[in-house]
Amino acid sequence: MIRRIIFISLFVLINATLFGQAKVSKNHPLTGLTCKTCHSCNVPTSKDPCLNACPRAEMTTVNQTPAQSPEVEVMKELSNRYAPVVFPHRTHAQMSEMSGGCQTCHHFNTIGPIQPCINCHETKRQRDDISKPDLEAAYHQQCINCHREWSHRIDCTSCHAEKGSNESAAISSSIKKMTGKIHPEIAEPKKLIFETKYKSGKYVTFYHDEHVKVFGANCVDCHKQQNCSQCHDKGKATMIVTSLSGAPIKMHKPEQQHHKPCFSCHQDDKCSTCHLEKPSGPFNHEASTGWALNKFHENLSCSKCHGSVKKFEKLDPACTSCHNNFIQGKFDHSAAGLKLDENHSSLECENCHENKDFSKPPVCSSCHDDKNFPKDRPGKTVGKIPSKKIKSLK
Amino acid sequence: MEDLMKPLQVEKKYFTPGVIVLSLIALNGLVFLAGRFLFGIGAVTNLNNQYPWGIWIGVDVAAGVALAAGGFTTAALGHVMHREKYHAIIRPALLTAMLGYTFVALGVSVDIGRWYYIWHPLVFWNGNSALFEVGICVIMYVTTLYIEFLPIVTERFIGNVRLKSFFSFLNKPLNKFLRILDKGLAKVMFFFIILGVVLSTLHQSSLGTLMIIAGPKMHPLWQTPILPLLFLLSAISVGFPMVIFESLIASKSLGLKPEMEVLSSLGRIVPPILGIYLAFKIGDIVIRGTFVYLLQFNVQSVMFIIEVLFGAIIPLRMFLSETVLKSKILLFIASSLVIFGVLLNRINNFIIAYHPPYSYGAYYPSVGELSVTIGFIALLILAYRLIVINFPVISLPDKQYMIQTKFTIRGSQK
Amino acid sequence: MQKQNRRDFLKTSAILSTAIAGLSTNKTKAKPKEILSEDRMGVLVDTTVCIGCRNCEWACKVAHELPTKPKESYSDRTAFKKLRRPSEGALTVVNEFSNPQNLNIPTDVKVQCMHCDHPSCVSACIVGAMSKEENGSVIWDTDKCIGCRYCMVACPFQVPSFQYDKALNPKIMKCDFCFERTKIGKLPACVEICPVETLTYGPRSELIKIARDKIKHNPDRYIDHIYGENEAGGTSWLYLANQDFAKIAFPNPGDKPMPGTSESIQHGIFAYFVPPVFFYAILGGIMWITKKRKEAE
Repeated sequence: MIRRIIFISLFVLINATLFGQAKVSKNHPLTGLTCKTCHSCNVPTSKDPCLNACPRAEMTTVNQTPAQSPEVEVMKELSNRYAPVVFPHRTHAQMSEMSGGCQTCHHFNTIGPIQPCINCHETKRQRDDISKPDLEAAYHQQCINCHREWSHRIDCTSCHAEKGSNESAAISSSIKKMTGKIHPEIAEPKKLIFETKYKSGKYVTFYHDEHVKVFGANCVDCHKQQNCSQCHDKGKATMIVTSLSGAPIKMHKPEQQHHKPCFSCHQDDKCSTCHLEKPSGPFNHEASTGWALNKFHENLSCSKCHGSVKKFEKLDPACTSCHNNFIQGKFDHSAAGLKLDENHSSLECENCHENKDFSKPPVCSSCHDDKNFPKDRPGKTVGKIPSKKIKSLK
Repeated sequence: MEDLMKPLQVEKKYFTPGVIVLSLIALNGLVFLAGRFLFGIGAVTNLNNQYPWGIWIGVDVAAGVALAAGGFTTAALGHVMHREKYHAIIRPALLTAMLGYTFVALGVSVDIGRWYYIWHPLVFWNGNSALFEVGICVIMYVTTLYIEFLPIVTERFIGNVRLKSFFSFLNKPLNKFLRILDKGLAKVMFFFIILGVVLSTLHQSSLGTLMIIAGPKMHPLWQTPILPLLFLLSAISVGFPMVIFESLIASKSLGLKPEMEVLSSLGRIVPPILGIYLAFKIGDIVIRGTFVYLLQFNVQSVMFIIEVLFGAIIPLRMFLSETVLKSKILLFIASSLVIFGVLLNRINNFIIAYHPPYSYGAYYPSVGELSVTIGFIALLILAYRLIVINFPVISLPDKQYMIQTKFTIRGSQK
Repeated sequence: MQKQNRRDFLKTSAILSTAIAGLSTNKTKAKPKEILSEDRMGVLVDTTVCIGCRNCEWACKVAHELPTKPKESYSDRTAFKKLRRPSEGALTVVNEFSNPQNLNIPTDVKVQCMHCDHPSCVSACIVGAMSKEENGSVIWDTDKCIGCRYCMVACPFQVPSFQYDKALNPKIMKCDFCFERTKIGKLPACVEICPVETLTYGPRSELIKIARDKIKHNPDRYIDHIYGENEAGGTSWLYLANQDFAKIAFPNPGDKPMPGTSESIQHGIFAYFVPPVFFYAILGGIMWITKKRKEAE
């Protein structure tokens, strides 16, 4: 008890001293925030950090799916020259998935609650802080480039309604028009075969669904800054759609551009990782790594074991390199489909599983001369024993 | 010989077929000039926002000032250095300078958008401006030239004031006034003569400074910090050839015998000056390394070569030859070449070398601009003829009775 | 003229040289207003933001009471087909260039007077009708101008224009940085109307810092060059771009103030009128000596 008190008081003391001296950590300004996101005053100090209120319970951050986001927003802060702008938020959130995501517009807003633009961007052009655009400019700078990229127009009326008597009617009608509208699902190719100009390693087979579903890559990991104009162009009658037929695609862009989307992950790989003599099959964990996935692993996301999506790490095939609970007393053996009986439950793992290699069937012969797995089992079967283990015995 | 020569009125009829042709040319210029004053500069010129200056500045003003340099070079030679031998040519040179500068002033008034504000530089000063310096010096120099010319007017009228009927009572006081004026002028004339030389030196060089501020807009063959020096040297070197040129033309046109002896010795002064100018000109492109632009074939390089070859090198060689100096026609050609060279140099500096960053096309003078410029030259010649017929400018073989008149005029000072 | 003795000569010379010396002191005082204030204002033009709506062209004409078509007509993008320059009828114009980074979003560039820190027009003007004001504007005084157009010859950016079609009172027309508006605390008309704030109006020193920050944080978006920071010795208007400035029709006037050479020559020749007076004295000396020699003969 006394030990406990001393320990707690020491802990409190140390923390108090640490926090008292707390300086802005080295990483603090690198997190992509502006000071104003968190601090309300110009020069926050450790004594008076003047932090903005942060109601965690009801806090909505920008990290949402388009479906979670508001459907339509009416922007009326600057409605002096034109009527308020009705902004189909959800549709734009969907569009942003292939570019910068929510942060394209909600910039400098990564972890805090969603800040309305007006919090930072002043409504008056004539102002003291000219380091960031005023509100009108902030809105326009966000919107116009995409809009003019595919429409080649910059006319005001595509977003702005004229101010007038039937203003509110116009707004409610456009809200109605925009509600429920979503971007049709973007057809994803299953695989793409690229025919390169190289003599050896002519083919690169790219499994799109694999990268998304199996490897867990996000759209933006490869599709960088692709906005509407990637597919839409008002001047052109048809949409620009990449070949989905599965026929080999001839290279048509400079090498660097073709490599660019891949290189955000594959930059350190050898050419032969992707460039093969003929179109290749889908990813096979056993063929590629020599380590077959069993039923416990095959449904896991890659990043569960291999770390970040962008840079999968090679692992030690020993089970205990990941499973640090594979030790006597910590492991509930019934998870493996077999509840150990009393005689066996107190044994060390390696007594049955030689060298702690759990991929191989257990060995009974170290203790028993007459017992053999799987005919004889050291307990009660509660589920299906991995078939592989049984198979390997045959 | 020169002892027997005295400046006298030339006894000739004013109108000849040539004069009538010149009058028509001048009239044509005046018509376009009227257009400029009624409808603006844009109506008669090819000037635009890219090429704000055309031949009215390049030829009428810049070349005009350079070609009127004979006035101050002969004044320096005859009056400052007291080379009496050249006194015979001082008056014609003075008249050319006076008329030349008058037309320069007219040219400027025509070219500036607000001609009625031509007096502004006298009131609003900008000491940083090369143009201000040119403007002030030209205004002062024109005044000086008129003062220098005044004795010729007094000489003409002293004892000759004969106003008709009503004003006849003024004859006596006017005559007296002229005498006093003449006497006073004679006392202070040295000041104006030196002043004229100083002012000329200043603005001839500042005229070169004008284009320096255009910086990279000017072709490197011409754009050099020593432009003022080159302008001054070229102005000095064109001074005597210009006197030779006009003496020969005037004597031809007025049916007189040219004073070849004076002209030849004037011609002997030309080579050293022209040589120095040429040395600086060549040295400049060598030292700055801009001679590489001569290897390109374009308008600029061709014009530069023409300017230096025909305007300086060839005439320099000619002036060094005794045969040329003795021959009327060869001397005339050599002088013309120097004049051509300096004229071309001014056109090159102000027009050919000037390359604005956003030009839509090269500048070519319009019919209106050419008409006005040529008209002004015609007017100048007409004025020259008018004055030499009415005033004692050109030295003629002396006659006895003229000596008498002369004696009475100057005799009063004794 | 021949009759004049040495005493006369010296006396007159002395009087006249004093007169000239007196003149010279007046002259050096008569410099144009050329205050380079520390907090002079400027505009940062971010050409990567400009959308080429040409509202600034319209606002400029309205602010300067120039004739203009209705605002709607400015959305006509065929105006970009040829390179336009500021003129007597339009003190600012927007030109469009292709954008190597994204062919769908052309680069639009507004041009107007750069309002140099060391303006060659101010240095050149014969009557000092041009002046660099304390707030950074280079403005023109209609009461002084004689219409000689030397400012147009001198300007490295070829900005001033002239009303060639006017027979009476033609004006030099150029952007005056909305001097009349800023004087009463308003923004320049173009800055006020710009929908995307391509134009940021503020103290020049602060704008340079902002521009540096922009380049630092968006190295892909901008080339590392603030046009106007050093060009022609620095200008009040500063530009950012995503490509070489030569490609978007900016001249390269070098980093030295344009009037430098001509002014030093000018002041070298004059230098408080010492060299001319000295030269005068020498000529006078020669004249006197040769005259003496002549008389001795």
